[in-house]
Amino acid sequence: MLFFLETVISGLLAGVMYSLVALGFVLIFKASGVFNFAQGVLALFAALTLVGLLSGTTPFTHVDNPALAMPAWAAIPATILVMVLIAVLVERFILRHLVNQDQIILFMSMVGLAYVLEGAGDIIWGSDVKVIDLGLPQGAWDWLLDSHGLYIEKIELVAAGVAGALVIVLAIFFQKTRIGRALRAVADDHQAALSVGISLRTIWIIVWSVAGVVALVTGVMWGAKSGIQFSLSLIALKALPVLILGGFESIPGAIVGGLIIGVGEKLAEVYGGEVIVALFGRWIEIDPGIFTATENWFAYVLALVFLLFRPQGLFGEKIIERV
Amino acid sequence: MNVMTKPTITEDHRTIGDVQMEVKNITLRFGGVTAIHNTSFNIRHGEIRAIIGPNGAGKTSMLNVINGFYHPQEGTITFKGEERRDMRPHIAATQGIARTFQNVALFKGMTTLDNIMTGRSLKMKKNIFWQILYEGPAKMEEIENRKFVETIIDFLEIQHIRRMPVGKLPYGLQKRVELGRALAMEPELLLLDEPMAGMNVEEKEDMSRFIIDINEEFGTTIALIEHDMGVVMDLSDRVVVLDHGELIADGTPDEVQKNQDVIDAYLGVAHD
Amino acid sequence: MADLRTSAGETPCIREEHVLTTEIVLPDGLDTIPKLLDRNAREFGDAAACREKEFGIWQSWTWAQVRDEVDQLALGMIELGLREGDHVAIIGNNRPHLYWAMVASQACGAIPVPLYQDSVAEEMAYVLKHCGARFAVVEDQEQVDKLLEMSGKTPSLKQIVYLDPRGLRKYDHTSMHPYTDVQKLGVDQADAIRGPKKPTLREELDRRKETANGDDTCIILYTSGTTGRPKGVVLSNYNIIATAKTSSEFDHLSSKDSVLAYLPMAWVGDFIFSIGQSYWTGFCVSCPESPETMHQDMREIGPTYFFAPPRFYEGLITSVAIRMEDASPLKQRLYKYFMDHARAVGGAILDGKPVGPWARVKYLLGSILIYGPLKNTLGISRVRVGYTAGEAIGPEIFEFYRSLGINLKQLYGQTEAAVFVTQQPDGEVRADTVGVPSPGVEIRIDDNGEVFYRSPGVFQVYFKNKKSTAETKDKEGWVATGDAGFIEPSTGHLRIIDRAKDVGKMRDGSMFAPKYVENKLKFYPNILEAVVFGDGRDRCCAFINIDLTAVGNWAERNNITYGSYQELAGHEQVLAMIQGHVEEVNESVARDEMLSACQIHRFLVLHKQLDADDGELTRTQKVRRRPIEEKYTDLIEALYDGSETVFADTEVTYEDGRKGRIAATLEIRDARVVGAERMAAE
Repeated sequence: MLFFLETVISGLLAGVMYSLVALGFVLIFKASGVFNFAQGVLALFAALTLVGLLSGTTPFTHVDNPALAMPAWAAIPATILVMVLIAVLVERFILRHLVNQDQIILFMSMVGLAYVLEGAGDIIWGSDVKVIDLGLPQGAWDWLLDSHGLYIEKIELVAAGVAGALVIVLAIFFQKTRIGRALRAVADDHQAALSVGISLRTIWIIVWSVAGVVALVTGVMWGAKSGIQFSLSLIALKALPVLILGGFESIPGAIVGGLIIGVGEKLAEVYGGEVIVALFGRWIEIDPGIFTATENWFAYVLALVFLLFRPQGLFGEKIIERV
Repeated sequence: MNVMTKPTITEDHRTIGDVQMEVKNITLRFGGVTAIHNTSFNIRHGEIRAIIGPNGAGKTSMLNVINGFYHPQEGTITFKGEERRDMRPHIAATQGIARTFQNVALFKGMTTLDNIMTGRSLKMKKNIFWQILYEGPAKMEEIENRKFVETIIDFLEIQHIRRMPVGKLPYGLQKRVELGRALAMEPELLLLDEPMAGMNVEEKEDMSRFIIDINEEFGTTIALIEHDMGVVMDLSDRVVVLDHGELIADGTPDEVQKNQDVIDAYLGVAHD
Repeated sequence: MADLRTSAGETPCIREEHVLTTEIVLPDGLDTIPKLLDRNAREFGDAAACREKEFGIWQSWTWAQVRDEVDQLALGMIELGLREGDHVAIIGNNRPHLYWAMVASQACGAIPVPLYQDSVAEEMAYVLKHCGARFAVVEDQEQVDKLLEMSGKTPSLKQIVYLDPRGLRKYDHTSMHPYTDVQKLGVDQADAIRGPKKPTLREELDRRKETANGDDTCIILYTSGTTGRPKGVVLSNYNIIATAKTSSEFDHLSSKDSVLAYLPMAWVGDFIFSIGQSYWTGFCVSCPESPETMHQDMREIGPTYFFAPPRFYEGLITSVAIRMEDASPLKQRLYKYFMDHARAVGGAILDGKPVGPWARVKYLLGSILIYGPLKNTLGISRVRVGYTAGEAIGPEIFEFYRSLGINLKQLYGQTEAAVFVTQQPDGEVRADTVGVPSPGVEIRIDDNGEVFYRSPGVFQVYFKNKKSTAETKDKEGWVATGDAGFIEPSTGHLRIIDRAKDVGKMRDGSMFAPKYVENKLKFYPNILEAVVFGDGRDRCCAFINIDLTAVGNWAERNNITYGSYQELAGHEQVLAMIQGHVEEVNESVARDEMLSACQIHRFLVLHKQLDADDGELTRTQKVRRRPIEEKYTDLIEALYDGSETVFADTEVTYEDGRKGRIAATLEIRDARVVGAERMAAE
């Protein structure tokens, strides 16, 4: 039982990460209809930049210079500024020119953006695996371990806490402020938004900046757990099934979807083999060992099932339109 | 065609002033198709100006040019004394041009109140930091604008749907909310693209009353496209008639009605 | 129970004409409404007197502020030439300013005459001409337009005061004034010297207030009446204030109560609740933002004392039922479980009868989970005393509210009685009676079963209509109600069967009580209105009007598509459903021996909704039997001649007064009748 609980909790905490990435997708998709394929790379780039600034790496030479190292309180805002700059550049050089183009063209431009950013990260900050040190607590949570025998890493709890706080802030921002209202307006109807004097460009820059901040949080949390490396950009792929589950336009969907995928794949990883053997073992001989890599494909299978039965996702708007 | 007599608002009671907008030699092409050809007319302060014509005459294209959605290949637009090659939506909005759309373009997921509040976007200036904090000046500003929006809600008699998502409202009410959003911009020139389309008789009467009241109470200049001739003749001070992208008549409702070109244009188009 | 019928301050006395009646003694200096206002401003000046929602916010006025507003308006109206004894028409939705206009008129010694705001211009013109109104205080352009349209027929009308200036700016203002301008005029001129011997405006107003007394006319209310021209019921200050006093005491109303004014200002009940009782006890009256927002506003105000016609309560239940059908299965089950429990014990708990502890706990749990939230959504969670009247209310509907813990009671009243004839005391509430005589009221039933009453609230006369006055009120002060009924010997409660003139005889001599059957039909949410025929005939037949909301919803759930009201009303499945309802009613009617002949043999569902604009309903939404019979002779004939279908082509009036036609072929159905075989055998 304890082990099961541990599995579920660690699944939930991993799910938080998926949720964060998915959140970046949803924000941009809602506001500009663009499928932001580059969100994972954005997270990688943000984390790389932060580490670079923290350790005083000279860009392009990849040499650390401790004398130039920034303290965290300066490095984080500086990184956010960099993300805003990227947002401005994306608007100026991509979105502005591709307005009203086909979905597929926008998508390809995002794929391009992903490669450009990835390459830029490589060239500017180097390709070696980096360790991020923001002084976040490491190791297990002793109290839980002693009293209940539960093994939970502190960093995962912190990540969950930060992600939760971020979601609350975003929710308030969207529901309560004028800019939030403008964002929702743009998401609903571009032309009407233009007619009341909402500037699409400003909105896009804001959305991409917010997505950049979300990416930074994702990158830092993920990086603190398993180091900052190229594979970070691949979590973008994990966000796909999350979005299919949650619906492309739903913020709560992104969160719940992420948690479901997180828990689901951990459970499948641990118990999947046993369950299959218990179910079908009578007829065919199965080696439970072949199910150890379930984690890698479980999410996609789940997404496939959803596509078949509920294509709009858990929280997505019904696709059927009223006439 | 049933032409009702002019209502009791007499010309001398309202002040129709100088030219507010001058549309000069506009030509608009999409690829090889000419939507509007060398068309000129003006709109004067405080008047209700109708743009009519058979289907495909280029009426909506004309509104889109005025409002900056389309950029004409030739011609100029002078608004409030400033001459431009073309309009941009954002400039149009800041300069005081608001509009509604033929097929209601509302923010369907948002409430009536929020929809109309978006009309205040340009009136709210507090920067993003206050916005994020949602305190202090930003909150004061929100309250100020909310007050203004409430007067519009009162004016259009839509108190009962204040908190309802507009997507769920009947069509007639949606049109009213859309009008409210345009009014929230405190426009000097209000463009209405078929404000009565798809309405029943009673809703049309309500809408006519709102249009007259807006014009009288706020002195707003109104340019409207409408298919219901009774309504057009009843409401408007002057009428522009377009056919196949060209201006074929411009004058008072009476003059236009007697114009042979206009009669021909309407008779010539079978489906109208 | 006797003690309930004779409350304090009420002493039987012998009048000069040797007629025993109950005199209510009013305290000194409290014999007119303006005097009550002065007292309230003095004694609880800072308490809220009224509220109105405007621009989405509740604005409120204290008693002191109301007194000032009223005085300013009164001064202005005197300056404009309002004389003592003049009549002032008041037209509009419930708004504080219009209530003030009534009291201001009274302060000037004039008589307010509120009119139904949805009346068409001709109806208004008749009343204005009949009472010779010289002033009109109206809400907005809509009403001003009606007055101007009819100005040729109302030569006496000199001044129009309006509240909402929208759209009126361009009108000729020689005899038309914005409300606030009149108040400003009053303030500016209040103390101006008029000449050596002449009083100032303020002195004049004070004199007029001072000289008025309880015998003066307080208000004239025109009753819409089911037949003929409206009659102006003259009620004196004594009628109103004595009634307000005794009825407030009966229900223990206090300044802490709160009401929502939403019923027409021209209706006597609104005047008693929103002016009479409010000014007597000092409670606060709230006005909704607009008629459409009434439910939302009610939720926000949470009235403690509430009146509504049965239609309103039925409408609420229908909306709950519709919502529950869309709710999740869990919610539906919870709802059903706890509502069943409430039906079982709720009424008993409300009446303070013994109930087991476990049932109480379950009821408490239900209050938290279901009843509380439900009452809150309906806006009735604070209702301490709720009344319904006007028409009979379905027992199920009645029990629904009582089981939720709402003290819903019935009263029986008339404009001529200043509302109260009988009402139900707490703890003696039943669906089928209208209660015991209200304090100070005597009841008598004549040989034909018609109910008569005599009370301090009994009206003076019908204005300029001696004939009707004499027909209705005799020399001893007894008033004929026009209703047939009897007093239950065991409880002393009055039971009303029907309108006295509508209770007829069928060809075989058995009793015909259409209302009784119609009410049973209308208890079904799907049936909005029903008209039963049978007087002088050998059997009963009926017209049915479906309820578009309920049936429309039902159709949506059952995937029945329809393009119009007619189409829905004529739909096969709708007819089958209505037939089911009619047959159930027949079973229930058959159980009452006296009335079993009133079972419905054949019916049809009308292709249009019965409407006041078409003269088929009164403005208070009651069926006008004779006009309907005349208008639809062909349909009635078809009901009786055995036809299976009938073609109907009917003129309708739209809201703006224009006319159109609706045509349809209606199917006539036979309904199963209980005991028919036996009857046929005879």
